Amino acid sequence: MSKPKLQKRLKSLSFSEKIKILEKLRDRDKAIAASGLRGKTSKGRGTKT
Amino acid sequence: MKETLEIINQMQADGVIGEYAIGGAVGATFYLAPAATVDLDIFVTLPGANGTSIASLSPLYEFLKSRGGKIQDEYIVVGDWPVQFLVPSDDLEREAVAEAIVTRVEGTDTKVMSAEHLMAIALKTGRPKDHNRILQFIDQVPYDPARLKDIVERHGLNAKWKKFQTKFLEE
Repeated sequence: MSKPKLQKRLKSLSFSEKIKILEKLRDRDKAIAASGLRGKTSKGRGTKT
Repeated sequence: MKETLEIINQMQADGVIGEYAIGGAVGATFYLAPAATVDLDIFVTLPGANGTSIASLSPLYEFLKSRGGKIQDEYIVVGDWPVQFLVPSDDLEREAVAEAIVTRVEGTDTKVMSAEHLMAIALKTGRPKDHNRILQFIDQVPYDPARLKDIVERHGLNAKWKKFQTKFLEE
């Protein structure tokens, strides 16, 4: 799926569905932070938005 | 999120807070494709504050701590979300709370700031991530340009809007 199509599809999801995705992204972010990988690979990414 | 919002709604029903609205990245997600964020920004009015931000957030924190809330840096963890409670600091933020849109998350009622208010607050705040969010709104177009213009003008953000347009929107 192209990026614009994916973005359109994501945008059209219900707020509840989007929140589920946010929670997965947040949990992934926490897991990466806890692993210490972030400092080694992409300093400054994934900070509070 | 459902548990988080239920606790916040209970806090409102108990009179600990007045009106509230979701802002920030989670608020923007109501309109845009989801983008990673670590926290939930909740703008709250406080009983007895008379439109000022002088009233204390202490009763709010006491309420949440009594229900298992844990302080974590500038957040308090409510349910499974770190929440930052923000008292509206100016007329723009007070208007954003007053005109927030009623919606539901997983069957729980809540309120989200309008797209135009989220954009105006991002413009006022002016960090790179705020500018990026405005660009996402413009790119994905779920907002009313006339309403945004009105908000920008009424809240003295014309100069910032012109600067933003010059920097990001003019070829």
